[in-house]
Amino acid sequence: MTTAQPPARQTRQRRKITVAATDDLPPGARVEVQTGRAVIAVFNVDGEYYALFGRCPHQSAPLSRGRLQGTVICNAETCWETEWAFDGEILVCPGHGMEYHVKSGEAIGYDLKLRTYEVVVEEGQVILLL
Amino acid sequence: MATENQNVTVQRVEPSFNPVQDEDLDQYGRELQDCTIVDVDVHVDDTLMFMFDYMDGHYRKRMETVLQADFKGEPGNSLRNMIAHIAWLGSSYDKPPRAKLATKEDLLARMEKGIIDYSILFPSELLPIGYLPEPKWAAALATAYNQYMVDAYQNLDGVKIAIVVAPQHPQRAAEEIDLHAGHPDVVSVCIPDVGVNPPIGDEKYWPMFEAAARHDLPISFHGIEALIHDNYPLRVAHFHTLMQVNSMGFPFTSMLQIMSVVCAGIPVRFPNLKFAILEAGLTWMPFIMYRLDAAYLRYRTEMPALEKKPSDYIRDWYIGTHELEALPRRGDLVRLIDLYQGHDTTMWASDWPHLERDLIAGLMRYDMDDTLRRKILGENALRFFGLAPRK
Repeated sequence: MTTAQPPARQTRQRRKITVAATDDLPPGARVEVQTGRAVIAVFNVDGEYYALFGRCPHQSAPLSRGRLQGTVICNAETCWETEWAFDGEILVCPGHGMEYHVKSGEAIGYDLKLRTYEVVVEEGQVILLL
Repeated sequence: MATENQNVTVQRVEPSFNPVQDEDLDQYGRELQDCTIVDVDVHVDDTLMFMFDYMDGHYRKRMETVLQADFKGEPGNSLRNMIAHIAWLGSSYDKPPRAKLATKEDLLARMEKGIIDYSILFPSELLPIGYLPEPKWAAALATAYNQYMVDAYQNLDGVKIAIVVAPQHPQRAAEEIDLHAGHPDVVSVCIPDVGVNPPIGDEKYWPMFEAAARHDLPISFHGIEALIHDNYPLRVAHFHTLMQVNSMGFPFTSMLQIMSVVCAGIPVRFPNLKFAILEAGLTWMPFIMYRLDAAYLRYRTEMPALEKKPSDYIRDWYIGTHELEALPRRGDLVRLIDLYQGHDTTMWASDWPHLERDLIAGLMRYDMDDTLRRKILGENALRFFGLAPRK
C-alpha cells in the first residue's frame, strides 16, 4: 500500500504578488494587476480584500473599473418578493452591466462564476496569492 | 501608484461612471491596424435642441414648447425619453449607468486613433419618428435633422452620414432623398421602421424607394425599442418589462419589414436598391429566409412579381452585427453566417456610444478565418455604402 500523494496543486509553491501597501489600498479602492496575460481585479470592500478574474467573459470589459453597488433579488428566501440586496457587494461590469458578487465571483442571474484569488496581508503589504 | 515586479503591473483604477468606451479598440489596435474597419452604426448627440435652428414658422414655435418639456429629469429635448422610455423609468436602477451622448469631439477623438476607417452616423433621437402620428411634424423633424447633420458633420475624415426620412410622409421622404443624395458625405438613407403602419413594403411608400433607387442610395432600416411598439408590429401592452420589448422589438420589426419589402416585389421593381438591417442582431436571419421559402411553395401565386424564392432576395440584404448575440461556442458565428449565406453581407456595427454598444472583442472572440473577418470588419461595408478603401 502506497501513501496517497496530495494533489499537485497543493504542493506547488504559490506565487506571491505584492499589490500595494495597505495604506495605499484603503476601503473603496481597487487595483488592476496584470501578470503575463492574466488580468486580476483586487478590491478593498470595507477593509476586506477580494481578487477576481479581471475581464468580463461577455465582451472582455475591464472589471476593475466596475462600480460596486447592490442589486435586486427574488427567491424563496424573500418569499418571491423583489428586494434590494448585497448593497456595496455587487460588481457591475462597466461594459454592459453584468453583475458579480465581489466576494464569491458568482455572476448574478447566470450559471457562471469568475475565478477568485486569495489575498493576504503580510507586514503591511497586500499580497495576492496565485 | 504603479509597481512592477516579476513582469507584474499593478495599476490603481477608479470605477467608471460611464460605460467603458474604446478600450477594446486600444486592445486590438495593433492586431487590426492593416484591416479596413467600418463601424456602420454610430450615434452622436442629436437631441432636439440642435434641430431648433433648422425649423421655421409654426414648427419652430412648436419646438420651443417641446424643448421646455421635462422628462426623466433630463433636458426636455429627448424624443426617446419622451415617447420610448418613460414607461420603464428607472427599471434598471442605476445598472449600468446611462451612456453619455457622444459629442462631435468624442467622435473625432475616436476616429483619431486611426483604427476605424469610417464611422457611419445614424440618428439616435430621431429613430422614433416612424411612430409619430402626424406625418408633417415627423417630416419637419427629419428635414431639420438632415440639414443639421450635414452642416455639422460634413468634411470630416472618415465620417459619413445616413440621412433620415419620415416614412409616413413618403413624398417628403423622397424630397429629402433628392435634396441630400448627391452630397459626398451622405451614404445612406435611414428608414426608422418601428411603428410604421402599414408595413414598409406597402405601395404608399414607393415614392421613397423610387427616390433612393434613382440616386443609387442604399437604404438602412434601423429599429428602436420600447413604447413605440404600441403600434405595428408589436404591442408592448403584452409585456411588462423593457427587456422583453427590446429583445423582440428589433428582430421582429426587421423580419416583418424584410418580409413586407420582399413580398411586395420591391427588389424586382427597384433591382439596384441595396438594403441593410441594423441593430437587430443576426440569429433570426436564417429563420425568416427559410420560413418564407417554405411558405412560398404554397403561396407563390400571391406574389407573382417575384422571380426567385424569398431567400434568394434576402441573402442580398446587408446586416449589421449589433446587437451581436453571445453564442455558446467560438465556431457558432461562422455556422450562423453560413446558414444565412452572409459572408459578403455581414457588417460590423458597434452602436457606439449607446449603452448596449458592442465592443470589438465581442466579434473577435469568435473563430473565423482572416478573409471573413476582414469582410465583416470593413470590406462588406465599403461595398454597401460605396466607400473607397483608406488603407
